[in-house]
Amino acid sequence: MTAAITRVEVQQAWTIARSEMRRAFLSKRGLWVYLLALFPAAAYLAHDVQMKVMEERWARHGLTSVQLVDSFTKGETADAVLKRAPNPAFDHSWKNRRDDDGDRDGRAAEGREKDGKDRKERAEETVQRRAITYFDGQRVVDLRFSDGVLQEKLVRPIRDLEKDRRIFAGIFQYFYLRLAIFFGCLGIFMNLFRGEMLDKTLHFWFLMPVRREVLLAGKYVAGLVAASVIFGGGALLGYAAVLWPHSGVEGQAFMAAAGWSHAFWYAAAAVLGCLGYGSVFLAAGLLLRNPIIPAAVILLWESINGFLPAVLQKLSVLYYLQSLCPEAAPIDENSPMLRLLLAPAAPASKSLAIAGLVVVTALVLWAASRAVRKIEINYSTE
Amino acid sequence: MTSSEVIFTDVSKFYGEVLGVNKVTLHIPPGITSLVGPNGSGKTTLMNLMTGLIRPGRGSISVLGLSPTEPEKLMRVTGYATQFDSSPRWATGMEFVTTGLTLYGYSQNEARNRAWQALDQVGLTEAADRKVAGYSKGMRQRVRLAQAIAHDPQVLVLDEPLNGLDPLVRADTISLFRRYAAEGRHVIISSHVLQEVDLISDQVILISNGMIVAEGEIRGVRDEISEHPSQFIIRCRDASRIASLLFCEDHVTEIKMNDDRLGLLVLTRNREEFSRALTRIALAGYVIDGVIPSDESVDALYEYLIGGGRS
Repeated sequence: MTAAITRVEVQQAWTIARSEMRRAFLSKRGLWVYLLALFPAAAYLAHDVQMKVMEERWARHGLTSVQLVDSFTKGETADAVLKRAPNPAFDHSWKNRRDDDGDRDGRAAEGREKDGKDRKERAEETVQRRAITYFDGQRVVDLRFSDGVLQEKLVRPIRDLEKDRRIFAGIFQYFYLRLAIFFGCLGIFMNLFRGEMLDKTLHFWFLMPVRREVLLAGKYVAGLVAASVIFGGGALLGYAAVLWPHSGVEGQAFMAAAGWSHAFWYAAAAVLGCLGYGSVFLAAGLLLRNPIIPAAVILLWESINGFLPAVLQKLSVLYYLQSLCPEAAPIDENSPMLRLLLAPAAPASKSLAIAGLVVVTALVLWAASRAVRKIEINYSTE
Repeated sequence: MTSSEVIFTDVSKFYGEVLGVNKVTLHIPPGITSLVGPNGSGKTTLMNLMTGLIRPGRGSISVLGLSPTEPEKLMRVTGYATQFDSSPRWATGMEFVTTGLTLYGYSQNEARNRAWQALDQVGLTEAADRKVAGYSKGMRQRVRLAQAIAHDPQVLVLDEPLNGLDPLVRADTISLFRRYAAEGRHVIISSHVLQEVDLISDQVILISNGMIVAEGEIRGVRDEISEHPSQFIIRCRDASRIASLLFCEDHVTEIKMNDDRLGLLVLTRNREEFSRALTRIALAGYVIDGVIPSDESVDALYEYLIGGGRS
């Protein structure tokens, strides 16, 4: 008997979820959620396009083989370099006073005083400077010559997978988890009950032979599926946009080593973020009329969580989500205040993080199930 | 506990400091029961209470022995067509009714068949595949009615169900109510159209300012209103003579003669004495063509018990 009732209720919850998915995916109030979810992918695609344009621009000025570019060594003369590689992208010469030269070279003033030369004498001395730039299809190589001798070789890859991944980790943790998923879930999950109150349609569900808890479950599943598809998909698209231009050896090596695992954990963190924040905002939508208040309180809680005692840290969704992220987010060492605000708590293990999120979600949903039984239809006060 | 009645026991409901209903005790038997009262008197509050959309602050409610706090049981035997004039944006008329039915456990095919029958009963089959949001007010009223009846409930609660219905559908709907009542089910309606309430109701509940003013069969309620004499219209050929005979009766308080002198309006404080007096007059050879009570209507009860400001 119990099993039969459970099966009926599961069917009811799924029927509700299917109906509500349309609302969750296509709500006019929630279309901005897609903008949040797709922002990282769009930003990286724009970055990729910019890189592509830059590559083409460099390539138009001249392309040199990787082997040649790698063969340049300090001490070589400019003529020798140009003899081996006669098509630089840029070749620029100028003269400097020795004084400026010293400054540029970073020599200390005391050093100059040791030379025993006064400023006037030094001003009459000049040094012949030359910068020759090569492009090997992926890297821009600046060769800096002084008096015709190669002093410095600066290599700047146009595309830097390591750097792109690091930036993505930052975007994912500081923007995607803290803001995009947070506010996206606010929009999707609060709309499930509060939106129906505003539309004056919630009575439709309350007049069905369905336990309120089953209705809650159906709506939560609808919101979770929608949020997971939108934000899990957004995370994967964003990560794909990071990796897509690095399709060479470096990219393939990374994918073989850790790429798929990273992609999985970014998507998992996004989905689990929807699971956790979804439950929180579903409950908030049942308990409060104004979404700004819970959003502000929860955002503040999540932001200060890293400074709280260990027990309280574990009552934060973000704490577990950050523990799931495959790469640590970069922290700007030059901004102590920013560092203070964004300092992540000591991470939990992945299994503990998942278990913690599930426990937090279960607790919040339990509280929501208590609240949903007490909800009354009183549209005039909305 | 099983019961065939809808029972309110000392139920009060306040919206903050605003009174919804106060200390309502009711036993509603099967049949057609009309809730009558001015706007804001508490009719919709009573309906929302008995269907669990709102909870009483005090007292208890039982619908056929079921508590409104258990919608999973209550709504299997109850259908409620609310006055809330909104429906999910995604729904066509067919989906609106079918989605509900699938939650009752009907298969898709069965749900569609039942939905089609319900929509047919309210004359909405042609618009079944159009979005409810695009329906006219009358059509939305009908689709809510279709949803309420689609699962064949024992208790049908209808808030102003006849509003916006064209005469043909209105007649069909009233027939449906009568059929339900004849089958021993509850049809609880609120209506502003007192003539219709008169026509279709087995019993009425008059409500004003959140309090039950009177309840029961219309005749019974009328009998209890002692401060207003009962009114009868007598159709007869010798109106002036009959008037003089009736005027000798102590219980008769007023008599008005029709202009055509073929009828009288008689006000009496004792209906039984009045009945005996008429019998005596008829036995004395006076021809009485008919006697019609003129204030045994919801309209009259409404005037007596609630007064002006009817909605």
